Amino acid sequence: MSFYADSDYPVRQDLADAHAAQFERFARAGTWGTAAQRLAVISEARQAGIDAGLLEAPADGGATSDVELPQPVRDVIRTLAVDCPNFDMSTYQAALDAGLSDPEFAEMVAIVSFIVNLDVYARGIGVELRPFAAPQPGNPSREIPVEAVLEQAFLPTIPNPPEGGALAKELYGPFKPYIMRALSIVPDEFRAHIELEQAQYVLLPKIMDFEYNHHEGLTRPQVEVVAGRVSAINDCFY
Amino acid sequence: MNPEALVRPELDTGVPSGDLLLAFAAAIIGTDRKVLDSARTALADALGSAAVSGASAVAGNFSKNDRVANGIGIPVDDMVFNGTEDLREQLGLNDYKSAANTFRHLSGD
Repeated sequence: MSFYADSDYPVRQDLADAHAAQFERFARAGTWGTAAQRLAVISEARQAGIDAGLLEAPADGGATSDVELPQPVRDVIRTLAVDCPNFDMSTYQAALDAGLSDPEFAEMVAIVSFIVNLDVYARGIGVELRPFAAPQPGNPSREIPVEAVLEQAFLPTIPNPPEGGALAKELYGPFKPYIMRALSIVPDEFRAHIELEQAQYVLLPKIMDFEYNHHEGLTRPQVEVVAGRVSAINDCFY
Repeated sequence: MNPEALVRPELDTGVPSGDLLLAFAAAIIGTDRKVLDSARTALADALGSAAVSGASAVAGNFSKNDRVANGIGIPVDDMVFNGTEDLREQLGLNDYKSAANTFRHLSGD
């Protein structure tokens, strides 16, 4: 059964499957956070959206976490979730001051960005926000790629080949723009970011093919109107 | 497509049903559920019911990307930055707070 079987609007199966897979990922230990910690992070992000009037509280929100996040970390999550235009280097610094490492921070940015994405989608098609699954046991692997270096972002990323070595070739192919590489200090979150990108925006091998239509009913220029307007409202220079 | 309409939605996008897409994009990340419900219905009537999922997917995806970009503090890639001076000025993009993530590298800060 489709993850969005309750939708009045047709949803492509690959898109529904990608979203179902991401909700399952939330319930597993990540590279840096336990499943319970990850659930606490995405719960805080969703609640921030509800508190701001950007989301409607679901009748069944699913599992809750017994992890209590420190207030400074909660503040960083909330800024990213509902005040994206004002997230800047000082917000990143506040996260470090609260004790997060760079890869922990990157994983947090990833899963907050992912849950905002998924909740915006659900709201768009007019269904309730999907319930969170119960956190599964397991330990974070805490593996940091040695290829990651400080380029021009707040924190290290894996450069494009050849500087990024064999891992960059495996992850990127010949080249990826910064927005695709941004989460690469946590390769599993990079892969999830790409999976969502391909399901929701365009297949990356087709990104320069402006005649290719990834979404039924929408031409590529129509897709770019939605993309550009959302990013303008979010004051995103990138 | 007229990119100025992305920051001044009262303008014509030059894209079929562009006004409906602009309205839906704003509503899906806005706070008024009734406005969103109306925008969704108008979009489905004009472009078909499948377009609602497509437009929602794109809006969600860029909600993600905007947060990844600002959260990680990435600058605009050189190949995009170079040659877009006039467009950035026209659209007022240089005034965005997140522009600092690019300009801090140019000023040598």
